[in-house]
Amino acid sequence: MSEEQYNKGQIATSQLKTAIWLFLSGRDPASVITLAGAASAILHQLAKNQGKTTFVDFARGIPAAFGGPTLPRSKYNKYVNDKLGINPLKHMSPSCPDTLEIDVEKSAEDVITKAVADYVPLFGQGDDFIKAFLQWSWLNRDGPKVMKDYEKIPKRLRRK
Amino acid sequence: MSLQTYQRLDLASRQLETAIGLFIGGHDKFSVITLAGAADGLLSQLVANKGEKTFVETLAGESDDSATSSRGAMGTHVNRLLFINAVKHMDDGDDGILTLDLFNWAFAAIMIAVADLVTLQGRGVNFVEAFLLWVKQNLDPNTYNIDCDPHWKRLKPANQEQSDS
Repeated sequence: MSEEQYNKGQIATSQLKTAIWLFLSGRDPASVITLAGAASAILHQLAKNQGKTTFVDFARGIPAAFGGPTLPRSKYNKYVNDKLGINPLKHMSPSCPDTLEIDVEKSAEDVITKAVADYVPLFGQGDDFIKAFLQWSWLNRDGPKVMKDYEKIPKRLRRK
Repeated sequence: MSLQTYQRLDLASRQLETAIGLFIGGHDKFSVITLAGAADGLLSQLVANKGEKTFVETLAGESDDSATSSRGAMGTHVNRLLFINAVKHMDDGDDGILTLDLFNWAFAAIMIAVADLVTLQGRGVNFVEAFLLWVKQNLDPNTYNIDCDPHWKRLKPANQEQSDS
């Protein structure tokens, strides 16, 4: 029990690993959302620092491919984090109701996916916990069909 | 998977229970800080909604320091002190390096959330009682406030007492 130095890559990795472990063992999905959300926030910045296209930057640019606007980064990020339950599970203002309507299981999976999308360009997909989640997704979300659908997407719409 | 309505108190309790499970089980303590911090983000507002004082509020105003003079300022101060924000955020220009005593800050983050949960639900919540029992059996009473005594003061280490005299 003494002071030690850590970097944010380690901190995000630890939290994402814990989130995936909790998710795959069927534990509390609210905790999964919070942990994967924390990891995602750090991984987004690390990916941005390295000049990678982050999940948020890719997603907010999709409307532009259809002639729409490119949404502002912080506004879009907040929108996604609100929708996925990341913000409502850690913040509460005096005007918030005592209840929250959310599909926690779906959000838990989606928030992990968001974090993994920024983890892989930074650290690859060779870590066991990343492989475990990708394998789970492949088996439970009809991986072959997802890949078939992906092949139909015009190349200009794919993430570089 | 379906859309359901949850009490925020339940969502906070589950996150705190997970934090305690990870802490006692010797798992990742960054996750403990994040979960306990998130739990208290909800619990402290629920306490305030009831017109009660949050744990952090009881600490505010004890000194003339503007950083701790109000509930809001004290909340920000505590979140910074315990690295609750740092382990879930990263901004432009952040060097990405943290130096901290992970065990102690994870423990402190849990204790703050536990204090607010006890204000809301009283003693008797199973995982809280289990945690407090674990604390009593495993931590040094000279270093940690294992009985949650509001008048408790940390004993100085022997070498520090010598240097003070």
